Amino acid sequence: MQLTHDLELFPVYTVTQLLFRDVKNATELRKMAVNGEIKGALINPSMVVDAFQILVAANKAVHLHKIGKMKTRSLYSEIIFNLSPTNNISEAFKRFGISDSDSAVHIVLVHNKEETLNIDDIISKVDGQQIAVDQVSDLTDAAKIKKLYKVAPQEEKCGSLLDAVVCRMATKDVA
Amino acid sequence: MAQSNSLKASVPSYLKDAQLIKQGAEARVYRGTFLGRSVIIKERFPKLYRHPEVDEKLTRRRTTQEVRSILRCRRAGINAPVVYFVDYTTHCIFLEDIIHSVSVRDHIASEQNPQRLQALADKIGEVLAQMHDEDVIHGDLTTSNMLLITGADQQHIHLVLIDFGLSYISALAEDKGVDLYVLEKAFLSTHPKTETLFERLLKSYTASSKKSLAVIKKLDEVRLRGRKRSMVG
Repeated sequence: MQLTHDLELFPVYTVTQLLFRDVKNATELRKMAVNGEIKGALINPSMVVDAFQILVAANKAVHLHKIGKMKTRSLYSEIIFNLSPTNNISEAFKRFGISDSDSAVHIVLVHNKEETLNIDDIISKVDGQQIAVDQVSDLTDAAKIKKLYKVAPQEEKCGSLLDAVVCRMATKDVA
Repeated sequence: MAQSNSLKASVPSYLKDAQLIKQGAEARVYRGTFLGRSVIIKERFPKLYRHPEVDEKLTRRRTTQEVRSILRCRRAGINAPVVYFVDYTTHCIFLEDIIHSVSVRDHIASEQNPQRLQALADKIGEVLAQMHDEDVIHGDLTTSNMLLITGADQQHIHLVLIDFGLSYISALAEDKGVDLYVLEKAFLSTHPKTETLFERLLKSYTASSKKSLAVIKKLDEVRLRGRKRSMVG
């Protein structure tokens, strides 16, 4: 169901991803993320192509956090910001974070490998159906992503949409 | 999450366990696993013979130029490895590992079929024309920096350009001409008796590029300028 992956560069940390659809309490969940009741990043799954994209964002966030060079104020907001192709933080939250009207949510947690994570606690807070994270591609809005990341048809000759997105995420600071 | 000084040096300790593939004057290249995928890590290590401030600035510039050029190429549909992560503190670039590939250098050395070699020359000319039309100068064009994806698909040739370490953006025909000259020198010295093959490559380049006339003209000029050339005139 959920997907857990270690960060090879930061062996102490692990990233856990959870995906839900038919979510009815997006407003509440958003409040819980903001006030810290849910310690995770709540992402709009229509903007996610693949779980790998999330890992790339999380890896960069943890790296910047370690060297004290994050652009946003918390690790979780940094993950959301890293997904965005632009350097405008509020735009990133608007497009990649969840809004009150969303019916699906992708939750990303970054935690110490040693500590046992109470996933059930988080699952119980979501009024929706949990689905396998690899099903996120069913919820992807490819057209919206192509438009936002400005992916031209010619670029798809040399790679997948995931490649295009990840490359931009990784090179955002200099491009 | 407790922070400790030992955790700050995460990339270097990761590299200790990675497999070193190549050590050059500029960088070390490793193969490793990153987020579950096989990756190539290019580490531009500090050069102690340089003044430290100059070294830092130059290394950072080389890293950002490399990454920018790769993105620019990909956006135009030219195959280059996907960049997954860049660590600007250690100047390491984490790139897609192009598996199931062989360098064009090794391929030309082993390929007997002249038609297949000609098709390859055509493709290289085409790809370089595309790259130059995007105003990307590779800077180190050699057949070792071009990979051929091997696979069942014999109909289409899939070429991937790598090592954009000396690349930069320029619209000047002179820079593009020099880029081709570098390739010509490398090509002819690495692969004996391939003058006609390289001619074919240039023909393909001329046919595929919108701005080729000026570039080829510059190439001719640069050839006359090269090493051990008489400066009479």
